[in-house]
Amino acid sequence: MASPAIEFRNLTKIYRRRLAGQEIPALLDVSFDVFAGEVCAFLGPNGAGKTTSISILMGFLFADSGEIRVLGYHPGDVRAKQQIGFLPENFAFYKYLNAEKLLKFHFALSGGKPEDADKLIRELLYTVKLQGYENLKIAKYSRGMVQRLGIAQALLSSPQLIVLDEPTSGLDPAGRKEVRDLISALKAAGKTVFLSSHILSEVEQICDRAIIIDRGKMVRSGTMDELLGSGDRVEILANQLPEQMEPPLLEWGAAIEREAQGVRIAIDTARKREVAEMLWAAGCDVISIAPMRSSLEELFLKLVGSGGGPA
Amino acid sequence: MKVWTIALNTFGSFLRNKLIILFVVLIACVVLLMMTPMLGMKAMTTASNAGQMQTLVLTEVSAIMSLVSGFGSLLAAWAAADAVAGEMKSGTILAVMARPVNRWEFLLGKFLGVMLMMAIYVALTFGLSYLLAWMGGERIQSTPWVLIVYPLVRYAIYASIAMLLVTFMHPVLSFGIVLVISVLAGMVTPTAQASSIFRPWLRNPLWVILPSTTLLSEDRFLSITQAALKQAGWLDHIITLAYGLDYAFVFLLLAIWSFHYRSLKRD
Repeated sequence: MASPAIEFRNLTKIYRRRLAGQEIPALLDVSFDVFAGEVCAFLGPNGAGKTTSISILMGFLFADSGEIRVLGYHPGDVRAKQQIGFLPENFAFYKYLNAEKLLKFHFALSGGKPEDADKLIRELLYTVKLQGYENLKIAKYSRGMVQRLGIAQALLSSPQLIVLDEPTSGLDPAGRKEVRDLISALKAAGKTVFLSSHILSEVEQICDRAIIIDRGKMVRSGTMDELLGSGDRVEILANQLPEQMEPPLLEWGAAIEREAQGVRIAIDTARKREVAEMLWAAGCDVISIAPMRSSLEELFLKLVGSGGGPA
Repeated sequence: MKVWTIALNTFGSFLRNKLIILFVVLIACVVLLMMTPMLGMKAMTTASNAGQMQTLVLTEVSAIMSLVSGFGSLLAAWAAADAVAGEMKSGTILAVMARPVNRWEFLLGKFLGVMLMMAIYVALTFGLSYLLAWMGGERIQSTPWVLIVYPLVRYAIYASIAMLLVTFMHPVLSFGIVLVISVLAGMVTPTAQASSIFRPWLRNPLWVILPSTTLLSEDRFLSITQAALKQAGWLDHIITLAYGLDYAFVFLLLAIWSFHYRSLKRD
């Protein structure tokens, strides 16, 4: 297994309102790893502690207890930040600059040589489909364009680890697909991507692993197969099922559901051919056989419910 | 290089900051209003009242320069507070601090951006003082560098105090405290008329603790008549400026230390 790009060990963060004497736990004993070269989603309802975790990871906030390492360094260490590209939630910008000047500013802060800036910036603006808008003041950009620019600045220094807080927020469906493709390209280039998103269908498509937190506590983490099932069961839809066939199927661990349009039989993948042949032999029609895999949304709602804390 | 990049960006933001533009326009209006009676007095000068009128003109010139200089301290304080707080409020600090930039580099860049703007303010003030002296029919006897370096050091002090305060409080409150400090500093000077309202046990410690803006005032050297010109040796200049720079440096270090432990988030 690759070495961890991000290591969270028993991290706790409590917001204290000294005047009101209030303590609001944001993270409680959170531990997880994000391995080099993988695309990992960080999921949770509003107020779950995602942005707090990302802020600690970037060195903006300090944890009350626990250990954290980013690319082997403490958060906020410039040696780590040299290799990180970061897109904050609701990317903010200097309104008086245009895209080219903003990217040049960030490129200079990354320690890039001025002579390399023009070519790289042109390429990045092309990648995020902002070519032709480089001289327009950012204040005049649409929300989607600002988000694209934010993604471009995150990729400026050819980072090894890309941290994206809601990368598809504000983008139209075509823009969201482009971001998905971009993340896939980053993965293919061996980069590590750590992203938070509320659009679970997208996460399911592009991520290797997911970490789910709720009310500051980690509730589940694992690869997509571990979380959603690896397809080791199939669902057979038949037009009918004779009563006498039920006991042997139940013995094999099948789940049978009779519906108006037919019968659904969930069974281990290893027994699918056997069951299908039994059904044909009994004169039943097999309408479909499909691998079973729950969706990330179903799992998410099961784990954290439909509610969430304050945003 | 990174510090300078931040400083230039900060300076660029000041040039587009509506509040700072308003502040400078306000100062320009006040100066113009104050120049009107001065020109009137000069026009009314006759052979019989020449001496009296000349004194009035010079008093007026001195008052304008004190005002402009005082405004400069407030401008430095507000710009320093706004430079840091503005980044926090807009959230632009997050993308900047995600870059391989140390927190001290960010704050130093902000400070230098403020000082860059104040250098231009000093250059304008310098030109104005010569213009006023010329309009008053006199010429400034002081060495020019004094009129540039002294106000810059004083502005550095107020900028660094405001920068320290804004690392843990609201910018308006920071500015208010710097304003109180600057007024108090002027009042507790032993030579100040208002110093008598303070009891010695309060006045003396305040005089030691607060920045001595009177000592660092270029007004000390902005003598227009040869007779009133204060002769200051190099040692006097070095000690006074070292005191001012030390004051600014200590507060800047405190600001960097405080900012190092500050949570960075959109306010």
